[in-house]
Amino acid sequence: MLSVTGLRANVGDKEILRGLDLRIGPGEVHAIMGPNGSGKSTLAHVLSGREGYAVTGGTASFEGRDLLALEPEERAQLGLFLAFQYPVELPGVNNTYFLKSALNSIRKARGEDELDAVSFMRLIKEKLKVLHLDDSLLKRAVNAGFSGGEKKRNEIFQMALLEPKLAILDETDSGLDIDALRVVSEGVNALRSPERSMIVVTHYQRLLDYIEPDFVHVLYKGRIIRSGGKELALELEQHGYGWITDEGAAA
Amino acid sequence: MSGELATWLGAATPNGSPAWLEAWRTSARERATALGVPGSKQEAWRYTNPRRLFEQAFDEGAAVLAAEALAPLLVEGLEADRVVLVNGRYAPEHGRLGALPEGVRIDSLARLLAEDPEAVRPHLGALADDPAALFPALNAAGGADGLVVLLAPGARLERPLELLHVTTGERPTLAQPRHLIVLGEGAEARLVERYVGAEPSIAHATNAVLEIDLAAEARLDHERIQHDSAESFHLSTLYLHQQARSRYQGLNIGLGGRWARTDINTRFAGPGAECVLHGLYLSGDGQLIDYHLDVDHAVPDCTSVELFKGILYGQGRAVFDGRVFVAQDAQRTDAAMSNRNLMLSERAEIDTKPQLEINADDVKCSHGTTVGQIDPQMLFYLRARGIPEASARRMLCLGFAEEIIGRLGDEALRAEIAALVGDRLEAAPLD
Ligand SMILES: Nc1ncnc2c1ncn2[C@@H]1O[C@H](COP(=O)(O)OP(=O)(O)OP(=O)(O)O)[C@@H](O)[C@H]1O
Ligand SMILES: [Mg+2]
Repeated sequence: MLSVTGLRANVGDKEILRGLDLRIGPGEVHAIMGPNGSGKSTLAHVLSGREGYAVTGGTASFEGRDLLALEPEERAQLGLFLAFQYPVELPGVNNTYFLKSALNSIRKARGEDELDAVSFMRLIKEKLKVLHLDDSLLKRAVNAGFSGGEKKRNEIFQMALLEPKLAILDETDSGLDIDALRVVSEGVNALRSPERSMIVVTHYQRLLDYIEPDFVHVLYKGRIIRSGGKELALELEQHGYGWITDEGAAA
Repeated sequence: MSGELATWLGAATPNGSPAWLEAWRTSARERATALGVPGSKQEAWRYTNPRRLFEQAFDEGAAVLAAEALAPLLVEGLEADRVVLVNGRYAPEHGRLGALPEGVRIDSLARLLAEDPEAVRPHLGALADDPAALFPALNAAGGADGLVVLLAPGARLERPLELLHVTTGERPTLAQPRHLIVLGEGAEARLVERYVGAEPSIAHATNAVLEIDLAAEARLDHERIQHDSAESFHLSTLYLHQQARSRYQGLNIGLGGRWARTDINTRFAGPGAECVLHGLYLSGDGQLIDYHLDVDHAVPDCTSVELFKGILYGQGRAVFDGRVFVAQDAQRTDAAMSNRNLMLSERAEIDTKPQLEINADDVKCSHGTTVGQIDPQMLFYLRARGIPEASARRMLCLGFAEEIIGRLGDEALRAEIAALVGDRLEAAPLD
């Protein structure tokens, strides 16, 4: 589904991704952990096509396409979804209108008919319920004035609506209270399927108790320096990063 | 000089007009002639050279519009009584006025001047008193008709009143309507004023003057939508006078015209009054949208808000020239003026000059300006959801405009304006 090899990317003169390899098969859930500033969000942004990063080496293919050659909207239309670490507020942009435009753009790209207003509203209400979100959200501007937790829930709500093939969740757990964490995780788990893959970026084991990963990777200084099963996250929780970063640095 | 101004100055007053009316017109005529065509050296004309307007020949234009030509100019679903003016003249056959309640008079200025001149005498020209203003003087001299709304104390319009002004003709025509809106104590109304052109490619000109007088506790909601055709010239000068505790909410949407200049002069005459002026303008290739606000806090304890937002693209130009004046004894004035611009092109140009002139010491006044571009983070967020770049830009522009559009008084107008803005942006060059 996704294959990243030797990916290098700079911001300005600074090299942030330094030869990163990652392969994700259909239906797999991969957790990416790693200290602050190691390049996790950068990876998410480069994969989803955000401006401001210069890719200086390596490849990324998604569903057999050269991901890096595509516009951000084309990537989304192919089924890539990024749940932002810091969702952006869009004052004045009505949420319903936004969701409808997004869904219909993606449907159109897939060769499906646009949804009529009635079916769209039915779908929306169903997904809102899954995330325990209130209808009133639909009348508001996208993320504007939302609390931190509401913004994160809204990201997963969008994911539920857009039904991507590969979702990258960038610290979706940060800022969520205990109940919201459970609700969001249930929302994510409801979307797990043999065709849908996920990259879950997190600092905490707690999220992985809910969303059980198939693989755990440690990203450090722009490279994946250790990969393992879900037990790797438990080890990290106990011992921190020191024991692998020392090895990684030595290697 | 008067050669250039001849069409504007109009014909002599019809025989049999009252002497006061004749005197008023004559003096306007003399004033306009003495002022002459302004040059861009004068401060008020710093940004625009009106000369080209006077180099063009205009017909007076007949007040004739076919019903089929009117239909596409209407806003679908707008629930309002309607008065239509064609080329500056009242066209009762197109109006739609229900039975008017007690104390409400809605009529043609020309008809009242002919049949009941004393009803308008106290109001005509009473507020438009700036001796240096050329266009209001031309309007007084050459204009013949307009809308008169007189509300007795306590009267209220049950439904909004739409004033639809249409310029039309096979050759360029000049329209100079003058509207008088007078609300007695505690009277209430909502007025939706729309300017449209029937022919997209003909350079018609409109030179409108409004005099709005609000007695104590009166309340007027006033939406003004300037959507004249792309080649046209639109000038409008509003004089607003507010007595104690009156409330005026004005919403100015400026979309059309090659050159569209709107002057808004407001004066507080009693304490506790409130004046809110919101605006949204869109200026694209070859266009100049021009706003001049003069807000006079002559008395204490009044509040004014001025917020104008603009979207500029291509080689569009706009001017925001706002002045808030606070008199020496206008204590506890609360005034906030701001102008925000979204520039979609490097070739677009905005001249923005909000000014405060404060002579009292116990006031709360602020002003601010922003000129910015579309936020790349917002754009990325939308694109990352599959929305193509051009649509994403349009959504963000409409989002920027929503703060103003959202204040329009009903859904039909909001939808209409959002669609007009959206369509214009869709056709706009991306650069
Ligand atoms: N636009 C930018 N300009 C300058 N430096 C940047 C920019 N974006 C990222 N960086 C730098 O790149 C490095 C990696 O940042 P990134 O956001 O990818 O880290 P992260 O692993 O997601 O961290 P965290 O766990 O704190 O979210 C950091 O040192 C950061 O300061
Ligand atoms: Mg991060």
